[in-house]
Amino acid sequence: MKDDVSEFVPLSIATLHILLSLAGEDRHGYGIMQEVARQSEGQYKLGPGTLYDNLQKLIERRLVQPIGGRGGDDDPRRRYYRISPLGKAVLSVEVERLETLVHEAKLRLEPARPRRA
Amino acid sequence: MFRRTYVWILRLHPRSFRQSFADEMLLIFEQVTKDRESKNRVTGDEVTGNRAKARLTEAKLVGDGVVSLVRQWAFRPGFQNKPAVAEPTTPAPDGVPGFYVIGSFKPRPSAVIHGLILSIGVLSAALLAMKFSWNHTGHLPFPTLDREENASTVEQQRAILPTEIAPVSHAAQSSRGNPGEVEGGERPQSAAAFEKSQRLQSGVAWKQAKNVADEGARISGKPAIAGTRLRAANERRDDHRSTAFPTIRSGSPEPQAGQPEPQGAAGATNPPGADDVKLNAAERQRVIERAIATLKRYYFDREVAEKTAQALLRHESNGDDDAATDGGAFADVLTKQITDASHDMHLTLEYSRERLPEHPPEQTAEDLARYRKAMEQENCMFRKVEILPNNIGYLKLDFFPDTSVCQKTATAAMASLNHADAVIFDLRDNSGGMENMVGLIASYLFDHPEYMYSPRESPTEHSWTRSPVEGNRLADKPVYVLTSASTWSGAEQFSYDLKMLRRATLVGERTRGGAHASVFHRIDDHFGMGIPELKPINPFGKTDWEGTGVEPDVKVKAAAALETAEKLAKNHLSKK
Repeated sequence: MKDDVSEFVPLSIATLHILLSLAGEDRHGYGIMQEVARQSEGQYKLGPGTLYDNLQKLIERRLVQPIGGRGGDDDPRRRYYRISPLGKAVLSVEVERLETLVHEAKLRLEPARPRRA
Repeated sequence: MFRRTYVWILRLHPRSFRQSFADEMLLIFEQVTKDRESKNRVTGDEVTGNRAKARLTEAKLVGDGVVSLVRQWAFRPGFQNKPAVAEPTTPAPDGVPGFYVIGSFKPRPSAVIHGLILSIGVLSAALLAMKFSWNHTGHLPFPTLDREENASTVEQQRAILPTEIAPVSHAAQSSRGNPGEVEGGERPQSAAAFEKSQRLQSGVAWKQAKNVADEGARISGKPAIAGTRLRAANERRDDHRSTAFPTIRSGSPEPQAGQPEPQGAAGATNPPGADDVKLNAAERQRVIERAIATLKRYYFDREVAEKTAQALLRHESNGDDDAATDGGAFADVLTKQITDASHDMHLTLEYSRERLPEHPPEQTAEDLARYRKAMEQENCMFRKVEILPNNIGYLKLDFFPDTSVCQKTATAAMASLNHADAVIFDLRDNSGGMENMVGLIASYLFDHPEYMYSPRESPTEHSWTRSPVEGNRLADKPVYVLTSASTWSGAEQFSYDLKMLRRATLVGERTRGGAHASVFHRIDDHFGMGIPELKPINPFGKTDWEGTGVEPDVKVKAAAALETAEKLAKNHLSKK
């Protein structure tokens, strides 16, 4: 699986956040925007233009799939998106990559211990 | 308003994107603004300021929409023709016309053809309109130099030149590169033509050209302008000679029947008016030999002359000149060789398709009278003499005319400034002139004779000012000289010397940079050389302003120079 998804990584920040926001549950566009803002503690905010540009690409690559509206009281224009199994795999690989990266960074940023002669 | 704008922006997106996401983006827009309003209501700040924040939020969304629009069209070409990623939604319930899609509708082939024809028609009309407007750009106001604006004056002054010396100049040569400048006469007063004619006129003169009118022609750009234009206009396009020497346009002695032809292979083989002048090896060699002889005889630096001669012979033996079979090209090749060897830009070999006269034209009393009359009509180029506020004298002089004609005018002008507390000389439009007038005006600025250095001529009696001038009160008054990038030749001498003598403050722009002059020597019927014959010692121990211009003490735009000088003078006077 890793070999299949390696072509998708590394992910852009927007893509990573979108996939991450969809990892727990299906969301509509505005929900994704709010979740991204929450995940990043308000430091990263997606505009609708950027969101749907990325969603367009993710759908094209089959990492995300639109699942339509939910009916009822929901606005009929509202559409939900779901992360696909491929999307989850890509996200896992990306998270794994980031973990390695963070680990490496921590090692390098730790203060050097004095060596004894 | 923002919402409506946003709707229109969404409509402009590519169809595929619009069908897939436009409704949702609009929904988000509404949701965001709604959330912002409810937040305001909760905080109770609706009236007191957060409305502005709401507007800002909407504006940001509109901005995001614009970025998205650009991104989709510019960077997402692959998606533009793809089908929508989901079924189109129903029309918006809010009544805003929007996002209807044509689905699988395909236009009829005939409609496509009609559309194609219509598009071609519109495109053709647009192209024609562009072409039409392009052809009319000539009606735009075109900047010209003041000295060229008065065509009648130029023509008049040209007319007073006794023999109408006109340079066969690079301006003519450049007709290939810029035909509009010469052939069509679309830019007859172009600054480029002016510059070239100025350079050429100041650069080369007949050796015997000593009288007033001829000197005026040499130093002044005015006659040169008209001469160059007429000469250039008469040139054939394929006449690509090089350049810078005087050719007699009228009254030149043509060979008479029975009269012995002057010697010279080029002259003998190339009759006047020959269209295609071809040189063989023997003719080229003869020209080179004569050029070397002339160079060694007249050039002021014997060592450089010898070195240059050796270089010419070396190039000849190497066959570097063999490709140059016509006169103009040959002159160009040799000039480059000469310049490379001597590093003197005023040392040139020149070629004329027309036969060069044996002697420079004589001038008559009638010519001098015409010159005098023209100068009188122009008030000897003293454009303005007045007293400015704070008792600052102001003299605008556009040329330094010969004192034999204009001494009275100059004396009267300086007398009217005699009681000024400071004097401003405005030389921003001054194209040079005669050294004797430079010396005469400078005489009023000193209380003792002062040497006015000129890089053109060895010192003469006119090189010293005639100071002190009886009754003059300006000798110790502050002096300001206004300069521009057009200030040229004699005006540069006036500025340079007063600056070096610390007698004036120069205000304005760096001057144009015309200092040297070379003398024209005919070497046969069609070739001649421009040769600097002397190099006076600069008493200020520096190189002169040839090619570099005179640097002002106070650098400002020419247009602001007068105002700046007035302020400087006022400040200076107030400290007293």
